[in-house]
Amino acid sequence: MIDLEFQVNGKEVHLKVDDSKRLLDILREDLDLTGTKEGCSVGECGACTVIMNGDAVASCLVLAAQIQGSIIETVENLEKDKVLSQLQESFLDNGAVQCGFCTPGMLMSAKALLNKNSNPTEEEIKTALEGNLCRCTGYIPIIDSVKEAVNKN
Amino acid sequence: MPDIIGKKVRRVDGYRKVTGEAIYGDDLKIPGLLHGAMKYTDIIAGTIKKIDLSKAKNMPGVVTIALQKDVPGMKKVGPIRQDYPPIVENKISYSGDVIAVVAAKTRKQALAAADAIYVEYESLDPITDVETAIKPDVRLIHPEYKSNIVNHYPLRKGNVEKGFSESDHVIERNYRTGFHEHAYIEPESVTVVPDYTTEGYKIYGSIQNPFTTRKVVSMFMGIKLNQINVISSTLGGSFGGKDDIINNLACRTTLLAHLTKKPVKITYSREASIKESYKRHPYIMNYKVGFNNNGKLNSMKINILADSGAYSSQTFFVTWRSVVQATGPYEIENVETDIRGVYTNNTYTAAFRGFGTPQVIFAQESLMDEIAEICNISPRDVREKNGYKQGSITASGQRLTDHKVSLKQVMEAAVNKSDYESKIQKFRELNKTNERFKYGIGLACSFRGCSLGAEGIDTSSAIVSVQADGSIIIFTGVSENGQGLQTTFSQITSEILGVPLADITFLNSQTSAISDGGPTVASRGTLVGGNATIEAANIVKNRIFSVVKDELKVGKLEDTRWKDGYISSKIGKEKISFSHACEKAVSAGVNLSAYGWFKSPDVSWDDDTGQGNAYFTYVYGCHIVETMIDTDTGKINVENITAAHDVGKVLNRLGAEGQVYGGVTQGMGYGALEDYNIQNGEVKSLNLDEYLIPTIKDIGNIDPVFIENEDKHGPFGAKSIGEPTLELTAAAINNSISFALEKQNYELPLTLEQVFLGKKLVKPSRQSEVVHASKKYKKQVPYINKISVKTPKNIKQALTLMSENKYKVLAGGTDIVVQARHKIKPLKLINIFSLPELKKIKVRNNEVEIGSAVTFTKILNSEHLTNFKLLLQAIKTIGSTQIRNKATIGGNIVNAAPCADSVPPLIAYDARLRLRSKENERIVPISEFIKRNYRTIIRLDEILISIIIPKPKNYFYSYMQLGRRNAVNITRMSISVLINFDDKNRIEECIIVDGSLFSRSQRIEVVEKYLFGKKLTKNMIKNSVKYLSEKIENEIGGRWSAEYKKPVFINIYKSALEDIYKQRKQDD
Repeated sequence: MIDLEFQVNGKEVHLKVDDSKRLLDILREDLDLTGTKEGCSVGECGACTVIMNGDAVASCLVLAAQIQGSIIETVENLEKDKVLSQLQESFLDNGAVQCGFCTPGMLMSAKALLNKNSNPTEEEIKTALEGNLCRCTGYIPIIDSVKEAVNKN
Repeated sequence: MPDIIGKKVRRVDGYRKVTGEAIYGDDLKIPGLLHGAMKYTDIIAGTIKKIDLSKAKNMPGVVTIALQKDVPGMKKVGPIRQDYPPIVENKISYSGDVIAVVAAKTRKQALAAADAIYVEYESLDPITDVETAIKPDVRLIHPEYKSNIVNHYPLRKGNVEKGFSESDHVIERNYRTGFHEHAYIEPESVTVVPDYTTEGYKIYGSIQNPFTTRKVVSMFMGIKLNQINVISSTLGGSFGGKDDIINNLACRTTLLAHLTKKPVKITYSREASIKESYKRHPYIMNYKVGFNNNGKLNSMKINILADSGAYSSQTFFVTWRSVVQATGPYEIENVETDIRGVYTNNTYTAAFRGFGTPQVIFAQESLMDEIAEICNISPRDVREKNGYKQGSITASGQRLTDHKVSLKQVMEAAVNKSDYESKIQKFRELNKTNERFKYGIGLACSFRGCSLGAEGIDTSSAIVSVQADGSIIIFTGVSENGQGLQTTFSQITSEILGVPLADITFLNSQTSAISDGGPTVASRGTLVGGNATIEAANIVKNRIFSVVKDELKVGKLEDTRWKDGYISSKIGKEKISFSHACEKAVSAGVNLSAYGWFKSPDVSWDDDTGQGNAYFTYVYGCHIVETMIDTDTGKINVENITAAHDVGKVLNRLGAEGQVYGGVTQGMGYGALEDYNIQNGEVKSLNLDEYLIPTIKDIGNIDPVFIENEDKHGPFGAKSIGEPTLELTAAAINNSISFALEKQNYELPLTLEQVFLGKKLVKPSRQSEVVHASKKYKKQVPYINKISVKTPKNIKQALTLMSENKYKVLAGGTDIVVQARHKIKPLKLINIFSLPELKKIKVRNNEVEIGSAVTFTKILNSEHLTNFKLLLQAIKTIGSTQIRNKATIGGNIVNAAPCADSVPPLIAYDARLRLRSKENERIVPISEFIKRNYRTIIRLDEILISIIIPKPKNYFYSYMQLGRRNAVNITRMSISVLINFDDKNRIEECIIVDGSLFSRSQRIEVVEKYLFGKKLTKNMIKNSVKYLSEKIENEIGGRWSAEYKKPVFINIYKSALEDIYKQRKQDD
């Protein structure tokens, strides 16, 4: 067991969890943040992507011990005071969401990119999202959404 | 003009999906929930001799273990033929068969107990190809059905032999297609809660067809339909894939809930999903066609074998659609088609978007291109000459008069949009001069019957319930699978009642609240469910009208306008708000809830002759695909796809475009990328690192083009779009490849080997590799057992712990956490990821020292490493952004995977590794560190501290990497080259390192020696190949994969040197 202190979506969290738990398990099971999804458990699909200390990471590959003292942001943090972020609005306007299972991970990868690079090229957008698989949308509306969010911000 | 129909409309369920609030199957939380897990078979085919539950029963947390004998109802289920046992009795037919199901307090406990079930078998050699399976005297997969042939659909029209005799040409071709995995991003999940009010169950989860699930569970449990309420959760993709598998999973979960009297959830891991779930049918197709010099088709004889795998499932219906559409949209006087589904010991096959059409379209459309070539006419001409026109008669004898036959129209639209004719000329010109990269353009057409056709009863249901305040609830018998049906039906209701979308709520399907609306399959959701919704909305509309007509001073409904929440007179100025009208209606005692029902027009079919009116309407489509092929490697880049579809009417433009983008991308994956690896019945590609679906970097431009010929049977004229988008793409890609290479290809998928060698390269099966029962205890489905992690404060503490010789190092975790899922023994880790000493990049005069815990992202962004261009280029291709953010250079080296991309450049740069233990430190060259794949010389007490790299000279460099995809690859092979020249232009220094070719990455010294002292010329590059060739032949020549690897590595070697040759020229 490990005593953890870290921050999730702006809130301090103190938890005692099993060492075997991954960040993904802690979010979904202990913190009830089920927006983050599990698709492959091996870091290939990106459905579990969250932002950790500013970087997009696959939360299925982060063990509990490695989140000590870190700052985590999940999809649940994107909407502020009942107002969707521009990225979320753009996803909806451009049809970037179908079944929606990849959406939280896509949004977090895109957010991590935009936090660091406010005017990315198409190639940079694709690189930021290359680790997020989507089986419904063919990606084109997702690329359009990120571009639109860049332009509107 | 409609107000909202045809517009771009946001998804009505979108808000929940972008905020993370939508509840998918595994997100459900219920107090007291137990978790289930499967005990899968350890063999592929055979008989169970003994099942020993004694150890498993006593495992921690186990509540019950169910076997087939515990099933209260029917032991076998299936949509048409009941041959599938959700839990087998004693016969094993494929690798995904389930022997027992465990319920335990946690998921891990259930999985551990499932692994502890000991089973003894008598195994048989699996039958894994259909041609063997149909031979006389072959073992029967299911002896009770007397044959391995599941079904046979014949179709007879005219006289094919007469047609052949009257033809100028008769050709015969064979085509093959592979399995295709749905790869919905959400793995399957079902939760069952005992329901004491019905003495039955509530079933939640990722369920595509709630009514089918209900029916199957009622049979399995021996209870009535009204005792089961199936409530779909938000569905994370299905594509036809969450039908039978989810019904079977629901059976097992319900059985556990029955035995334990507790709520039970079963969620699959990706591996369980891929192992157990059904795929698209592989087809072997023989087409014989007779045609005249002008390209006119006279006669076609088709013989198809479809691999049904171990069970029949949807094989009957899938192959039926194939028999209807096997000739493509071409009018042929004489047709004889025979299709047979065949049992094997492979993964069973069933519904997948397209449903028996992508296979026949691939064959048919490849054939059309070949006919065009023989007749020296264009691919477009041959299709126009033979294509369906108004009044044409199909192969099944159906005269197409009831809808607009728009084949020519869709083809024209695609041709114009893509600039097809001029691109053909342009690409031909380019291909004359380009040697390595060839450009292709290919066209494919299809017609497709809408909805179920003669498969069965085709009806659907909807409820529109208007509340007293004017707000509306709708729900329907067909379900939201992610495709956007909720939005379309909300739009339909909004259009009819003139109510804003914001006032409409769509409820997820639940079977106890509405009558069976049929399955959400066959691209029928909008067509049949939409019609039912229209009927329900119109009933309510008429009732409201009867209450307000006097106030509006109108006599007929046609004289009113329903818009923006108001009902107004078209004649006078009278106007009333919708909510007020509703209030009045309720006060007047009017029922504002209505039931809509739609029954599709009659269709017909004669099983003996294959003649009849198969579907009541059809859609038409045409795809044109442009590709670029690297002939050095066989790698395809799909650059541009134009997808023209007659959809009847676009209801939601955003949704329709989404269907095109998504379907085309899946079709692209099917044609060019996705390779389900199953050998001797054992599935090898069990996760998304091996089963590769397209990433964001694998798709080119996609242009959707919609043609709208409103159909009299469709809601607002709409027909279908979901499946037509997928079925054409692979065929068009294949035609573009054949165009580019001037050589027909007859097999899908177009893997690197298929394109490069013209054949599939399969690991030869040895009898010794056939899976028989293994005594060795192993995990059937990977999951993390037990990990303990110590996080030392500094490197000294870390090394003291390491001196106990029992720990492994945890750096980025991107490899070890994956590997931990396969480990049985508890794993003890030392977490070094955040140790400051290991996170630094130190710069000295002549070298840099990179801490082992530095991530790849840090390396890529470091200002100190910009000169290590070879390394940076290699690192860019490692994993994805998420992986590079976490993965460390030290981890990559110590893991020593053959595909570790940072290693070859580090060997080229002559890097050294600083290894430290509690007592000692040693520095070793990286070239000596890795002994062979996954084996290094590091000791149990050592930690890799840093990587020391001499500052590179001003080398010319080239790095070439080959992967199947354009991102997130396992590198198939790579080459790293560093070269320096002396002042006389001679090669003064030369370093060439392979990646993933030899048993470990190494400098290819024989070639380096040959190059040394010579001038780099094209001729010299050519001459050097024989040294490389010999080296490869000696090292790996005997391997099955060498037929591809050897020539391709030589090609990338030549490209790398030519690249340097070009750089050098530019420098001069």
